[in-house]
Amino acid sequence: MTAVITGVGAVSAFGVGARALFDGLAEGRSGISRIRSFDASTFPTHVAGEVPVPHVETGWLGDALGNPAIADELGAAGALRDRKIAWGLIAAREAWTHARCDEGERNAALVLALGLEQALLEDFSGIYEPGRIAWEREHGEGVRFRTPVDLTARAVHTLLGLHGPTTVNASACAAGALAVAHAASLIERGAEDIVVCGAADSMINPLGLGGMCRLGAPSPRDELDACRPFDRRRDGLVIGEGAAVFVVEHETRARARGARVLARVVGWGSTQDGYRATAPRPDGAAARVAMERAIARAARAGVAATSIGYINAHGTGTPLNDPAECRAIHGAFGAHAVHVAVSSIKGAVGHLMAAAGALELAASLLAFERDVLPGTANHQERDPECDVDVIGETPRAARVDALLSSSFGFGGQNASVVLGRPA
Amino acid sequence: MTRVAITDVAARGPYRAGTAPAEEPLASQRARKMMSGAAYLAACALAELVGKLAPSAAERAELGYFLGVGGSAGALDDVTALLDASFVDGAFSLPRFGDRGLAACNPLLAFQLMNNFTMCHGAILESLGGPNGALFSRGAGTIAALGEAHHAVRSGACARAIAGGADVATHPVTLAELARDGHLGRGLVPADGAALVALAASTGRDDVVLDGCAHASGRGRALVEALNDAFARALRAATSSSADTRDAAPTWAREDLDSVGHIALSAWGPPAAEALRAYAAARFPFATLVDVSTRGETLAGGTAFALIAAVELLRSPSLEVVRSARPARAVVLSLGVDGDPGVILLSRGGAA
Repeated sequence: MTAVITGVGAVSAFGVGARALFDGLAEGRSGISRIRSFDASTFPTHVAGEVPVPHVETGWLGDALGNPAIADELGAAGALRDRKIAWGLIAAREAWTHARCDEGERNAALVLALGLEQALLEDFSGIYEPGRIAWEREHGEGVRFRTPVDLTARAVHTLLGLHGPTTVNASACAAGALAVAHAASLIERGAEDIVVCGAADSMINPLGLGGMCRLGAPSPRDELDACRPFDRRRDGLVIGEGAAVFVVEHETRARARGARVLARVVGWGSTQDGYRATAPRPDGAAARVAMERAIARAARAGVAATSIGYINAHGTGTPLNDPAECRAIHGAFGAHAVHVAVSSIKGAVGHLMAAAGALELAASLLAFERDVLPGTANHQERDPECDVDVIGETPRAARVDALLSSSFGFGGQNASVVLGRPA
Repeated sequence: MTRVAITDVAARGPYRAGTAPAEEPLASQRARKMMSGAAYLAACALAELVGKLAPSAAERAELGYFLGVGGSAGALDDVTALLDASFVDGAFSLPRFGDRGLAACNPLLAFQLMNNFTMCHGAILESLGGPNGALFSRGAGTIAALGEAHHAVRSGACARAIAGGADVATHPVTLAELARDGHLGRGLVPADGAALVALAASTGRDDVVLDGCAHASGRGRALVEALNDAFARALRAATSSSADTRDAAPTWAREDLDSVGHIALSAWGPPAAEALRAYAAARFPFATLVDVSTRGETLAGGTAFALIAAVELLRSPSLEVVRSARPARAVVLSLGVDGDPGVILLSRGGAA
């Protein structure tokens, strides 16, 4: 039972909607901007792939969802301080509508990848004392300290009126790809007929951005072209935010209800580096195995490795990731590696962390929808250590029958997914 | 026919507030500084379990690991230092946080906060490289982790996999949430813990076999309806086939529920536990019952502790099942803080 994608929704630095993402990438633009959602003036970096909605207002979200009640409820609970909740809801609504889902689809399961909670540092004001936190004090009703990890998933479940089970993947930057793989696996093994899956994340908040800066992950250059994947001058990532949600169902079901198939999910694989908390394996060995597992599964589904013509890379633009990923590509594809076009969209939309893999799979649909492969924003001078066919800043017109998207998480989790062109 | 056996178990806890023993030495004390409490407990249990499995380096590279994980739980010393440097006149100052607060905390604080590190720290220490997933859990997510591990072994994606859950319900922020949502008032006793099981292809009739598991949505439903849905999904998981699953032979049929001899349950607090016990008494009137909730609620860990209890029941020396044609059967019932129920189907003995 092959799993197919029949609906997609996206929210990114290009704006709300999958079409905004496709248009932005097809035109070779960048969505990176100065941070407007909070005062980051004293932070080490001031740029991000921020969704161009500085503040999520209840009324705006209600209109975007066509459901003021759920927006009001979330707004009243203070939950909209966590931006990923809005992005996840909007993307889910778009995917559901795009797939023309209705009452017959409400038994769908939900598999959503979500980033960590947003710490609401201002909520500590009521119990903070110099040198200690007075937990023994009564906590007010409006005090949250953090948003629940699964709040977005629960809100999506309610918004779409789903009856199926909810699963939240918390596998950091690999989570989005793993959520889609999980959904495809549930369908393929007959556990579910239809799954709403994807990811939402935003670390464009004080502790999220600050924590990443403290790790030294973002580029130290405070410029709009700060993230330069596979470029000789690359020096770090740019944080992004957004969501991508898909409707995945088995092909027979999709055809029977007349749904348009956007892609077939034919392969997936995951591994762990088991190496270090702070760095990927330099040889890319575990990432390579994740790709190999995805390629092997695709081959069993009738999609040969040689039909994979495009790789949407993890491509963070960090000194360590990009060459390791290129080694993994060579290891996994062998002689075919030189025939595969590679790009990373992180220079254009930022690193969406838990949502990165899902948004990059959504972006990859551009290859099937418009026969265009996304470019690599800010990539001008290829690093000799990144010896693959990197698509530069200009998108490339090409028809490919299959593609692979990889995501590698902090902590060493690796995931690869292969999509096939619909028959 | 590939049936998936639970070959070994390991656990730390449940530890109620103030009852945890002195910390065990880890392979890397430097790594300990980056760990949340849950990551530490998971790493300890994982080290014990991997020690029992004694895998070669090549086997470690293929060993799967799927873990139900809870919320972030950074060390309070770091949070306090961060706030100390960020407050001005009793109020949090965003400019001050960016300017000084960040510099005051551990540079690797993010690695304490990221939920997946509850799994990854241990995986790094043990050099695990197989298929994996960190699934957020208030109970049901741990069932999903177990289901992924079960399928990974059953489909041949890996020869062995480890699955379970780990969480620290005594973390102050979690306690505040549990209090605010009324759980502490209703008698929930928070605890910390990690519980893991090792899975591999069954090799004999004496194995405790994980036949299937599933969770269901509890939202807007009566508990019985939600549990019935979870049972239906678990039976489907036990009987479903797939292109890369090496068997399609059903291991459970609906009528087999009538021969369940053992129930282990995990539920968030006395009201939920009472509801599950009532369900179990009505549905499985002749089954023995173990309620691990009484030992303390470990959130993402709770279901895994109940699973271990069920495995121990099935392994009981007094259980004369091996010579019988009918297998002994056990069910784990889970009801997490999110209200989503889960079901795990286990058996031992019977036809080979």
